[in-house]
Formats: sequence, structure tokens, C-alpha cells
Amino acid sequence: MTLTILAFALSGLLMAGGAAVVALTRDLMRMVIGLGTFLLGVAGMFLFYGQAFLATAQVFVYVGGVLVLFVFAVMVVHRSSGGRPVLESRHDIGAAVIALGVSGMVILSLQDSVGGWLPASASGGAAIATELLGGHLVVFELLGALLLAALVAVLVIVGAGERR
Amino acid sequence: MTALVLCSLVFGVGLYVVLTRREIIAILAGVELMLGSANILLVALASFAGADGGVIGSVALAVLVVAAAEAAVGLALVVSLARRSKRSRVEELLEVKG
Amino acid sequence: MTLFASNPWLAVAVPVFVALVVAVAGKRLVGMTQWFAVLAPVTAGMVGIAGWNSTAGPQSTSWLSQAGTSIETGIAVDGLSAIMLIVVGVVATMVVVFSVGYMAHDESRARYFALLAIFTAAMCLLVMSTSLVTLFIGWELVGACSYLLIGFWYRKASAASAAMKAFLTTRVGDVGMLLGLALLWKATGSLDIAVITGAAPGLAAGTATLAALLLFMGAAGKSAQFPLHIWLPDAMEGPTPVSALIHAATMVAAGVFLIARMWPVFDASEAARTVVLWIGTFTAIFAATVACVQTDIKKVLAYSTISQLGFMFAALGAGAWGAAMFHLVTHAAFKSLLFLGSGSVIHGAKTQDIREMGGLARFMPVTAATWIVGAVALAGIPPLSGFFSKDAVLASVLHASPLAASVLFAASLLTAFYAFRVTSLVFFGKGRGTTVAHESPLSMTAPLVVLAVLAATLGFMGDPIMTALGLEPEILSFAVAGVSVMVAVLGLCSACALYVNGLGQASRLSERFSALHRLLLGGWGVDALVQRVFIAPVIRFAGALYVWLDRLIIDRAVEGVGTGSQFIGRFMANLQSGETDVYASLAAVGFIVLMGIVLWIGR
Repeated sequence: MTLTILAFALSGLLMAGGAAVVALTRDLMRMVIGLGTFLLGVAGMFLFYGQAFLATAQVFVYVGGVLVLFVFAVMVVHRSSGGRPVLESRHDIGAAVIALGVSGMVILSLQDSVGGWLPASASGGAAIATELLGGHLVVFELLGALLLAALVAVLVIVGAGERR
Repeated sequence: MTALVLCSLVFGVGLYVVLTRREIIAILAGVELMLGSANILLVALASFAGADGGVIGSVALAVLVVAAAEAAVGLALVVSLARRSKRSRVEELLEVKG
Repeated sequence: MTLFASNPWLAVAVPVFVALVVAVAGKRLVGMTQWFAVLAPVTAGMVGIAGWNSTAGPQSTSWLSQAGTSIETGIAVDGLSAIMLIVVGVVATMVVVFSVGYMAHDESRARYFALLAIFTAAMCLLVMSTSLVTLFIGWELVGACSYLLIGFWYRKASAASAAMKAFLTTRVGDVGMLLGLALLWKATGSLDIAVITGAAPGLAAGTATLAALLLFMGAAGKSAQFPLHIWLPDAMEGPTPVSALIHAATMVAAGVFLIARMWPVFDASEAARTVVLWIGTFTAIFAATVACVQTDIKKVLAYSTISQLGFMFAALGAGAWGAAMFHLVTHAAFKSLLFLGSGSVIHGAKTQDIREMGGLARFMPVTAATWIVGAVALAGIPPLSGFFSKDAVLASVLHASPLAASVLFAASLLTAFYAFRVTSLVFFGKGRGTTVAHESPLSMTAPLVVLAVLAATLGFMGDPIMTALGLEPEILSFAVAGVSVMVAVLGLCSACALYVNGLGQASRLSERFSALHRLLLGGWGVDALVQRVFIAPVIRFAGALYVWLDRLIIDRAVEGVGTGSQFIGRFMANLQSGETDVYASLAAVGFIVLMGIVLWIGR
């Protein structure tokens, strides 16, 4: 039990800490690292809720894929301007108020739906596979088509830039 | 409850980042924060509601895939635009003024 | 004849058609169309003659019918409307012919003749209606034509304001009439004249009195009875033939017609009849006194018309609506004759001021001869028409109220006096004018002769008129006749004696009683009183409203709305900065607000 709580606390800490770094840092590379921390925390959370497959996917897709893309983009964009890229921000206070308001509203509206402490259900990859390849095959195919479309889109966008 | 508060606040932080940053990469990072926390919230609430684990997993997977695709396309746009104009700031690139 | 007898609607349709043709043909062709315009009143007269003894039922149709209730409208020719139609037809025909000469040099003749034709149509609609609704429509249309024709020379400021005054003053009466209509609708559930007159004896006394008085209010406005008479003298700003047709013979008599038409309602209310009797009597003597001192020939005739209408209302009040209608007919003949005669005089002498005329009989023999016929008829000297009808009126009033009758005798005296005052000043004595008068052309003198013949002989039509109205013929009352002839001759002689040597004696007299003279000249100050009691407070109230309500409240509110929307607009424009983060923030704010609403309501 304590182990579970510990896992939850650790994941939560990773999420919150990563998010805080993303929000507070002025350094683009440090921000990407903060994002990575957050994504790891998300993966931990999936694990905590019994979705081991999701956690693995999260790590593979995000930490292994998306995060690398981020680093890549940062380096491509800022390779000409020497030195560490610096972030600008504005409307800080207004945006903070709005964001806090949205958070508050989400909490207020969902507070009745949250029951106990621990999740009631857990599942492995097999269950998800059964679900996706069984009843929701169309959804699965659509997701695949979406990913393919995204891939093609990326190629087209970047390729167009290349030709120029 | 803790999960709810945590996820909501992280969602808010993501929103804050989206609203304040002038760098498209940072905005995309903010969007990732929002998507991730929303996904966790989805899984957490569905688990509390006693939904079948497989169903939760497949829905969350769908969100995850869409988010990844979105991130990939967004970053490709950033790269492409940066090549074109050497800038990746919102006001120059996402100009919607008439 | 059978065509007209079976199709009375022609009396309305043909004048409308004529009006359209004349109006469309316009200025260039008016030389031809002005003769075509005669067709309008001739048709009206033909329908009247054809309907004199017709027994054809009304042609009616339902209008605005809806769930259980409808307005029955229709036209029919009975004795009463036949008389009115003939009066309208004959007088209007004479007036149109006369106008060809009188208006020969006017630029807007097409408009003039078209309006005359429209007036004929409206008057026919008024007199033939079987429903109070269509009657009221005709009633308002003749008012509108009157307005347009008084203001015919609208570039003249006095004509425009006189037209407005006539319109507004008669409107006061019309509001009362409309209320009366509403009351009758409520009391009897119908506006059909036959239904109302059938139900009238069964009305509650209060309802009958109120309805009768409200109808009388409309009649008094239209027929220029005290205190709503003030528009008629000013209405003389219109062309003289119009004064003859509308403001002497037909439209102003519509009030008398209305009461005659609705007689059972008045029959049911003793109080209303008393009011009518005394208003009429007072108007008769009041207007007669004013007529004695006016110097504008048309003003004299205008006050004379008011006075004669007072006679008719007195007869109505005394219960003798047949006598009133009889007097209406003869009055239409001799008063339109006098008006057209005055038009001829004005045409010849180029002035309306009787002090600048004199000795015109030598230059205008036909006009003078016909005028004298008219004046004698007006004075009520046998055997001309005025004598018989006035005798009928006086006899009936004497029967109802000797006091009122004695007042009317005094008014008769004054009538004879002012009639011959004008006659001797205009046609006899030495010429005081600067221009040399000339006789008018044939198109003007011919109608005068025809009307003179009618004015001389219509007195013998008393019995047929009464029969047509379904009443017992009047029997000439010799006592009344003797007194009235005596009185008339007295007035005639005194006028001749006073004015035979021009204005000298009269002006000495008016200097001695200068206060009285001024009072009479100003029409007993009724105009000034109305001005002070009604118009001035209304204008002050309107001014206050303008300052307080319009400027301070409404204008500020409107300007505030304008400024406010400008401010909001500027604010909104600033929001449309094209900055995506601002848009995203607003979307988030929208989310917060929506969730807030959902949560708040969901509680």
C-alpha cells in the first residue's frame, strides 16, 4: 500500500515539477527537459492506474519520439542565433488568473465524480487489444489513418520548406 | 481527489504557458501539458467510475495517438516556418489580422 | 334612368374615374378635361333623380368579416340620400361650369377639377352609405377634400394655415363622432344604420343621450356650429366656387344630414335634442350679428352660412328634421348662388372688400340680378324659396320653444339686414373701387341664372321633399309667416336706409359703438378665446415637453445609446487585435463563464 502511495506521489511530483519547470523557465532547452519530466510523470500515473500498456506507449511515443522531435525543432530553429535561446512571455498575470479560473472550474465541476482513493479496475495490453481489435476496430483503423496522414503532412510541410 | 486537483492544476499551468509564451515550441509544450493532464484525468475518473480497463485504455490510447500526431505536425510546421523566416514567434507567424 | 336606379354605385365610381382621368391628363389637356369633369356631378344628380322614388334595396357587402362579426357596408338610395344627391349633383355641376370661367387663368386647374370630382365621389359615398363605417369614411374624405381645396393656393401662408385650422377643428368633432360610433357599436352590436335606428327606441336613456350628443359633436364640427365654427370663416381662403360647393351647400350640410339620418337616436333623447336646439339657435343669432359688420364679402357669406346652419340645427332640435332638410335644400340653392355671385363680383372687381365696391349693377347686370334673387331668398321674402323653408323652421321651433323661436326671429331680422347691406354696398350707390368692373363670361353667368331660378322656385318643392322623406307635408303657418315677412322687410328696409348713401352713416354708427363693433368684427372673440384657452396652453405644454422630455430625456437617451455603442464598438475593435493569445484567453474566459452558469444552475 505504501508502495502504491509512493508511486502515486512520485508520479505526481514528476508531473507537477515538470509542468512548473515548463511554466517558469526562460530557457528553451530547460523547458524541453521539464516537458520530458512531465511526460515521465504521466507515464507513472498510467502505471498507477493499472494501465501498464499505456505507460509503455507513453514512454515510447513521447519520451522516445515527441521529445526528440522537440529537441530537434529547438536546434533547427535556433541554430543560427548563437547562444541559448531565451523565452519571452507576456500577459502573465491575466493568463495566470484565467488558467487558475479554468482549473478551478474543472475541479468544481468534477469534484462529485471522484470517489475513493484507489482505482477499481486495471488492465493489461491484452484487454486493450481485445477492445481495439474487437468492438472498436473502426476506431483503431481511423487512428492508424490519422497517424499516416500526420506522417505525410509532416513530410509535405518540411519538404516544401526544403525546396524553397 | 488528489489526482483531480493535480491534473486540473497542471492543465491550468499548460493553459498559462499557451497563453503567455511567444515561442511556438513553448506553446506546443503547453499543449502537451494540457493533453497529458487531461488524459490522466480521463483515466482516473473512468477508473473511479468503475469503467472496464480495456475501454479506458483504448480511449486513452486514442487521445495519446492524436496528441502525438498533433505534436509531430506542429513541430514540422515550426521547422518549416523557421526555415522560411528565421523566426518562430506567434505574432509574426500566426498573423490573423485582416 | 333605370341604369342609374339599379346601379347607385355609379355615383361614387364615375366621379372617381373622372378624377383619375383629369389628374392623369394633367395640365396640358385640362382645357378638355375640365368639361369632362362635369360628368361627375351630373352622374350623382342622375342617381339622385333616379332614386327619388326607387324602392331598390341596398346593395351591401360584408367587410372585414371574422369569427361571427363583420361590418356590413353598402349603399342605397332612399328619399333622404336622393335629396342630398340631387343637391350635390346640381350645385356641383353649376360649380364646375362656373369654375371653368373662374379658374381660367389658374395653373393648377387639373388638380382643382380632380379634387372637385373626388369631393363629389366622397359626398355621394357619405349620403348613400347604409353603414356608419362607410359614412364615416365619406365624412373624412370630404373633410380631406375640403382641406386640400381650402389650401388650394398653398403657397399663400394664410391659405395653408386656414386649411390646417379647418382640418384640425373638424377633427375635434370627428373624435366625438368616432366615440359615438363606438358607443353605438357597443350598445347595438352593429354599425348598420338600419339596425341602429331600429334599436334606437330601446336604448337606455343615458346611452341614447350620450350617443346622440357625440354624433352631434361630429355634426357640429362639420357644420360649423358654435364653438366649432371658427374654421369656416377662414375656409374662405379657398377658391370661391369651392366655398360655394363645399363650405355652403354640401359638406357643411352633412352635419344636418347626419342627424336626419340618425334621427331615431335623437328622437330617443329629449336632452340631446334640447342641446341641439339651443346650440343651433345660439349659432344662428351669433353668426348673424357677426355677419352684419364684416367687410369681406366672403366672410359675410361665411357667417351667414353658419347662421343658416344654426337655423337648420334649431329645427332638428325642435324635432322637425324634415324642415331642416327642406331648409338645407333651399339654402344650398340660394347660398351657392350668392357664393358664385360673389365669385363673379370678385372676378369682375378684383377685390373682396365691399367697401371698395359699389355701383356694380351697371357693369354686371346678370350678376346683380341673380344676386338680388339670392339675397331676397336668404332674407326670407315670399315667394322665394328661403321664405318657405325658414317658415317651416320657425313654425317648428315655435312649437317646441317660443323663446328659441323669438331669438330666431331676431336672427331673421339680422339676416335680411346683412343680406341687403351687402347688396346695396356692392351693387348700388357710387363706385368706390379703383378698377373698372366687367361682366363675367357666359360659363360663369349661366350657372348663376340656373341657380337663381332654383332659388326662386324651390320653395314650392316643400311638399314633394316631405313626401320623399316620408313625412307629413308642412302646412304654412300664417301667423309665423306674417311675422317673419314683417321682420325680413324691416331688416331689408333698415339696411337699404342705412347704406343707400354709401358707408357714411354706417361708419358714424360704428364709431359711436366702436367697442361693440370691434367685438362683432372679431366674431365675438371666440377665435381669441380658443387661442388663449386651448391653443396657447397646448403650445406651452408642447414646448415644455420639448425641453424636458425630448431634449433632456429622449435626446440624452438616444445620444447615450449612440455614445455607448461607440464606446463598446471601440472596445470590441481593440479586442480584434489579431493576437491569437488574446483570442485563446477569451475562449478560456468563455469556458469559465459557461461552467459557472452550468454549475450555478445545476445547484
